[in-house]
Amino acid sequence: MASVTLREVRKSFDDQPVIHGVSVAIKDGEFLVLVGPSGCGKSTLLRMVAGLEEIDGGEIAIGDQVVNDVAPKKRDVAMVFQNYALYPHLTVRQNMAFSLRLRRADKALTRERVGRAAEILGLTPLLDRLPRRLSGGERQRVAMGRAIVRDPTVFLFDEPLSNLDAKLRVQMRTEIKALHQRLRTTSIYVTHDQVEAMTMAERIVVMNQGRVEQIGAPLELYDRPANLFVAGFIGSPAMNFIEGVLRRSDGKAEVVAADGTALPAPPEVAAAEATRVVFGVRPEDLLLAEAAAGGGAGIGAGVEVVEPTGSDTLVFCRMAGQEVCAEFKKRQAFAPGQRLRLRPRPESLHLFDAETGQRLPDRDQSSP
Amino acid sequence: MPDRGGRDARKRRGGIAEAIYSLIALVVALVFFFPIYWAISNSLRKPAETFTVAGLGVPFLDFTPTLENWISQASVPEAYAAFGNSLAISVVSVLIALALGLPAAYALARFRFRRIKNKDLTIWFLSQRVLPPVATAVPFFIVFSSLDLLDTRAALILVNATFILPFVVVIVRQTFQDLPIELEEAVLVDGGSHFVAFFLVALPLALPAIAAAALIMFAFAWNEYLFAVILTVKAAATLPVHIAGGVDTRGVQFWFVAVRALIAMIPPVLIALLAQRYIVRGLTLGAVKG
Repeated sequence: MASVTLREVRKSFDDQPVIHGVSVAIKDGEFLVLVGPSGCGKSTLLRMVAGLEEIDGGEIAIGDQVVNDVAPKKRDVAMVFQNYALYPHLTVRQNMAFSLRLRRADKALTRERVGRAAEILGLTPLLDRLPRRLSGGERQRVAMGRAIVRDPTVFLFDEPLSNLDAKLRVQMRTEIKALHQRLRTTSIYVTHDQVEAMTMAERIVVMNQGRVEQIGAPLELYDRPANLFVAGFIGSPAMNFIEGVLRRSDGKAEVVAADGTALPAPPEVAAAEATRVVFGVRPEDLLLAEAAAGGGAGIGAGVEVVEPTGSDTLVFCRMAGQEVCAEFKKRQAFAPGQRLRLRPRPESLHLFDAETGQRLPDRDQSSP
Repeated sequence: MPDRGGRDARKRRGGIAEAIYSLIALVVALVFFFPIYWAISNSLRKPAETFTVAGLGVPFLDFTPTLENWISQASVPEAYAAFGNSLAISVVSVLIALALGLPAAYALARFRFRRIKNKDLTIWFLSQRVLPPVATAVPFFIVFSSLDLLDTRAALILVNATFILPFVVVIVRQTFQDLPIELEEAVLVDGGSHFVAFFLVALPLALPAIAAAALIMFAFAWNEYLFAVILTVKAAATLPVHIAGGVDTRGVQFWFVAVRALIAMIPPVLIALLAQRYIVRGLTLGAVKG
């Protein structure tokens, strides 16, 4: 096992820069998730750690060794590919034993390691099958098995679950997490699915257009997104944004939207009067004004669409001239056209600078 | 019902189209098979009957077949020598072309060459087939003459291996390119070199294409006549030279030509039948993901 350190890593394809100086320190034994929309460079970054892409600038170190010029086979990393990359002409057993075969490992040792990995993953009855006779989930497991058998210092996962159906994806998610808790091997996991990132990661790196937007624990990113991109990317349904101008009057602060609606803002926010800001509130932080403790008149909103999911009710409505989504834990019998009064939970408001997209700092950093 | 009527009409139209296609296929097949049939028929006739048999020359119907020509051909020592030469030259030149061409194809498929671009290199390989072979006949003759290789198998092996090399490079390069690159990347991460990826993964997976290329190359080398007739006299004469040698002072001995042509067809047909399994298997080889 080892730590992995990326220092100012850069990469261009045909003079088109795709990674603009990424620095991340991954701790020994950590499960780190790289998440971002397609084309943000997360897979490229992973492939650079694996040694499948050259590093144009900066440094990647595994443990204490800088691996920029080290061939993939000497890096002692195992990778699980998006399409599994099982060798189609080899059986499950041969696929899993492949790396040991290349290392000319002892036959008995190979048999034992493959046997143990197969047992962990429930592949024992499939060992003599060819990949084409396996289901998607089974192939995924074989790809994992091939990585486990190696006992590498680092696991790399490149969107390993994106080819599975939704139900299997949730199941494999849990399995991979359980596996990591058992093996404690440093893991870097790439996904575009923020739910996967939130549920699996110890820390998340949010990437966009070849840059790191924010690094942090899942709930940290959720509660205190550093900028508009992270705020919009993490969380489902996504955070509601309303543009407006910051106004202060006798110790209070509010954001005045384009249509004149005043939205409450935390008074401790460190921004000057008349700053153009984006007001952000998560769907579950919009409360019904009547039900909200402490009263307050709330903000008027007209219901447009109601989506009951069983556990929650999603209500899409028009508030302050914007389409917003509110999520209620209780079942609600709203009808389109109905007028509601919504009140944002005061301790869960997010304010961003409209120019830079950056989160406006509060003076009180310890607020919940 | 109108709905069903429409479907029937479509079906009927499909039936007619199918019949037309079948008919065309049959005609094409007849055109291709007729010379073979004629050779068989000719090989079973007495020399005197070559031009005198009526109708389509159906054995038993139009003439009494005899194995006379086959038996006398069996006692010609040059026939065995030619067969042996052809086999040795074709097989060895195919093996040489594969040994040189497969790594070249892989390199062109998977590595980016900077000074001379991959596309140009590929075209350069292919351009070898653009020049009419006869244009190089005299230079080859002079080269082999000064190397003292005239009338040797080695000369024809070198010539054929050179001529068939582009086939394997161009055909298999495409197949290598179409293999999912992750497979080879997995090998690299799993601790293998590019050589391991080539030998243990790319080669076995490209086997159907390699078989197809080998078949084409074998047929080409087996049928090569021009250089065989220029560079050999007797010791290294191949089957095509032997077939063409079925001429004496009284003209072409069609009966011997027929027998020799039929014998010459046997190895390529056998190889095609064997390779067919691989070629068909190539179409059903499991993809990476379901």
